[in-house]
Amino acid sequence: MSNIAGKAYAMNVITPIRWYTAWMNKVIFWVALKFPSTLNGLLTLSLIHYARWVIIGRNQFPHIHPDQPKENLNYSYMLFFSNFNGSWDQYVDSFTFAIPTGLDMFWKWNIRYSRSVPLTPFHKYIQYNQIETTHYYNAYPLAASNDVKSAKKLRTALIAFDNATREVSDDEFQKQYNALLRGLQHDFGDMRPTPIVSMSAAQVEKRHRRDLRKAQQEKVPAIQEVDDE
Amino acid sequence: MSNVSGKAYALTTLIPIRNDHIGEVAYADIVRSRLENWNMLPNSPMAKVPETYLCRFYLIDDVYIESQPSGTGPDNWADFLPVTPNALRHAVLPKHDRLQSRYLVFSSELHGDRDTYLRGMWLAISEELKDVFGFCYGFDEVHNADDFVAYMKKCQLNVALFFNGSNDDPLEEQLKALYVKQEFSRFVVENQGLPTAELRKKFLTFIGRVAPTNVQFPSWTAGQYSLPKVQDKQQEAAL
Amino acid sequence: MTKSLDLFDIQGDVVRAYGRFGFPFARYVFFNIREGNEGREFIAAVTEKVTTSATWGTGPGMVPRPTVTTNIAFTYQGLKSLELPRASLIGFPEEFVSGMKPRKDILGDDGPSSPEYWDKIWRESREKNRHLDVHILVTINAQSPDLIEERFDWLMETADRFPNAIALLKGHRGDNGAEDLPYQDVHALIDPEIKQFCAKEHFGYTDGIGDPYFEGLADAPERIAGRGTQMADGTWAPLATGEFLLGHIDEAQEYPPAPKPYLLSRNGTYMVYRKLHENVNSFDQFLERESKDYPGGKELLAAKFVGRWRDNGAPLAHAPDAKSKAEWDKKFNALPADSPEQDQMLSDFTYDNDMSGAKCPFSSHIRRINPRASLQMKDGQQPGSYEYNPHAFDTPGALANRRRILRRGLPYGDSTDRSTDRGNHGIIIMMLNADIARQFEFVQQQWINYGNDFRAGNDKEILLGNHSKEYPSKAVIQVDPNSDEVPYFVRNIPRLVETRGGDYFFIPSLTALRLIAKGLIDPT
Repeated sequence: MSNIAGKAYAMNVITPIRWYTAWMNKVIFWVALKFPSTLNGLLTLSLIHYARWVIIGRNQFPHIHPDQPKENLNYSYMLFFSNFNGSWDQYVDSFTFAIPTGLDMFWKWNIRYSRSVPLTPFHKYIQYNQIETTHYYNAYPLAASNDVKSAKKLRTALIAFDNATREVSDDEFQKQYNALLRGLQHDFGDMRPTPIVSMSAAQVEKRHRRDLRKAQQEKVPAIQEVDDE
Repeated sequence: MSNVSGKAYALTTLIPIRNDHIGEVAYADIVRSRLENWNMLPNSPMAKVPETYLCRFYLIDDVYIESQPSGTGPDNWADFLPVTPNALRHAVLPKHDRLQSRYLVFSSELHGDRDTYLRGMWLAISEELKDVFGFCYGFDEVHNADDFVAYMKKCQLNVALFFNGSNDDPLEEQLKALYVKQEFSRFVVENQGLPTAELRKKFLTFIGRVAPTNVQFPSWTAGQYSLPKVQDKQQEAAL
Repeated sequence: MTKSLDLFDIQGDVVRAYGRFGFPFARYVFFNIREGNEGREFIAAVTEKVTTSATWGTGPGMVPRPTVTTNIAFTYQGLKSLELPRASLIGFPEEFVSGMKPRKDILGDDGPSSPEYWDKIWRESREKNRHLDVHILVTINAQSPDLIEERFDWLMETADRFPNAIALLKGHRGDNGAEDLPYQDVHALIDPEIKQFCAKEHFGYTDGIGDPYFEGLADAPERIAGRGTQMADGTWAPLATGEFLLGHIDEAQEYPPAPKPYLLSRNGTYMVYRKLHENVNSFDQFLERESKDYPGGKELLAAKFVGRWRDNGAPLAHAPDAKSKAEWDKKFNALPADSPEQDQMLSDFTYDNDMSGAKCPFSSHIRRINPRASLQMKDGQQPGSYEYNPHAFDTPGALANRRRILRRGLPYGDSTDRSTDRGNHGIIIMMLNADIARQFEFVQQQWINYGNDFRAGNDKEILLGNHSKEYPSKAVIQVDPNSDEVPYFVRNIPRLVETRGGDYFFIPSLTALRLIAKGLIDPT
């Protein structure tokens, strides 16, 4: 089980909403999409790769086969998925301190949502409703969201610089090179393996790496399955 | 449609797992166990699936209700009554929902079109998928990429809000940009203070080696989680 | 909302950095407890001399200024040895229970900072022999070495009354290769030019200017500028008391999690004690090497490492170059020495006009450990620039308010001989906060040894970062995006500071001390 892949943490939260207030959440989300300034705080935090909210109506759990029993639920459900950088504590704390109103806006119609301030009840609310990720994949574990964004900026600027300076004088080259570096002065951060997220995660990581070396030789069997298919 | 943000797509699927067992192990637990094994491999099978930014698998065993003592709408009505009748007090407590099936959740942030992505996923790792999804309702009828696309569409949920905190470039471009950032950062540090003519020469060599416009190579590989050591890079640069 | 704290209940080292109040000498003494009953009697005896936070003076509610102070703190194992009930012990947070040594991966205590190189007392604590565990820290601060000795003698006499219960722990390194000293001595450095005590440390920087200002602190109100939290209207407000003292509301509008019963934790706090060796030779060489090509020269580059000029602590935010520094100095020197006005010049600044880091670099020491409101940034018009993004966050200091730390402690050793790194010199830093993981450990791990929040990827803080040869460190010295200048890269940063030991302590209130001494802690 791993919520972590390199510098990214996968958070999964599932919370019930009254089916008759679910539409209000949808309206709020629609407003956020139409008026992106509502997400200003989230963007400034810059901790998130991608995140999403999904509302499953109580009759909308996928039913894809006649053998599958139909669901019979009192509530609709809101699923929240986030890929963020940093530890769980840092993430939840950042939200609470930086954008408490935003948090409340998205979660307020969920059953018994605790409000984002004070902190500890909110921590508990998220923890109780969080599901661990079984397998998490990140195409760039060495890169935080900031790194991905600044990499794009840097590459674009570098290509433009190269194209613009092939034929110029040395002086002009130096001038433009200086301007290039000046313009990218916040984009040169090194990228290396992440800081430890928590002692438990570090221990799991150590065991994992040890097991990886073992697994190279032997295929690790699943739970003892009586009949192999 | 809010599954998209520019060219980035948020695919959310809930796949119901059959309520059956092998010996004393439930199918859902087998699914979980096989996915855990993916964590033991040198790298995730999803690294082979083109255009995957980030993705995750988890199981919903049941839905939870967190009962907090804070007030919500109906509770507040109770506040106005001098005495809260027991029936009302019970009525406003959250009800207990149960799911009839356990679900495998597959959620992916990807670049481009959903169907192309799913097709690419089948072509890259159909064996690994059968190994895990084989325990889900109806997956035994999935034999090819088209079947897989249709199957996943049935399991798909629409996203109410997709927040893109990054960009929507093709994965190859993101990886190339990261590689270029890493290399150029090293270049500017190593060549600080050089006289212009020399700097310029070194820069041209650098561009030749790093090839910023060639998205394929050289670059980071999908899922790369370690870096070559400094000494290796120096040897490489000397070549 | 004004609030007054029960100053007679809070230990004095919490509200005062004694060094600043005319106590340039200190001694840190460590004990191991072998037996609970007599251990508690020892605590009772020491508590009678513990200094509180009471205001010094002759007015009502004040006490005369002491010539020597004494304070006491405990590790988790110490509290356990004093036989606190398990129901209380399990209320302590995970990091305090484990102590600092096992957290080395979080703190970045690797390479030369790893525990195998620590002073013997710390190397052997919490290993196989329980008699070598550090349980109690007693700190003695005084105006002269004689007074230290006098109080120390009293302390040892008191300990000697309980020979089967209390053992002094040796194992501190000292001058001339000493490995097994019975205590850690520290003292303010003497400024060679004016031949008086100064607030400098061994790299030459003026230290101890920044210190959080919180509600109820009976300190001069004008000291709040720069030390409190920045408000949207440009004023400063005190931080919530609960960030630094248990039993009071904190910045998250709640009481910080604390062990039961209430009287055990209220008015107490946690202290992180770390012995940091300073590689003065490496520092000098590094500064020399990197400043050769740096336009602006050596002292400006040295200032860029920290965010303040070495000689008098002038903040780069107000004195970003030689010219403005000269003007700043003129104004500063015209004011009476150590006056509130001088203090304002040192402390009252923000980064609002320096969002791009051209004045104070993003990897400089003071910007990393207290970013003020500078994390509320958005891309500016000009490439390479950030702008202040008002109203993105709930309050300007939202991301920094919960990461503030009170700093105590003094330098140790002598660094006149700068020809080697192997000398005995550094600082003992004691960091006080209500939540070790959220405050100290977070800053150490996320802001000192890592830089993502500063858009600097893995770039570390220049002075304290755990730089290694395996992945050579660099730092960017930013420039004005509207200028013609080119950013300067400081390269191959050596590890300038090495951990030589330490642990996590709990500083109880006077009430708690008395209850612990009587064995009356009971959370039932």
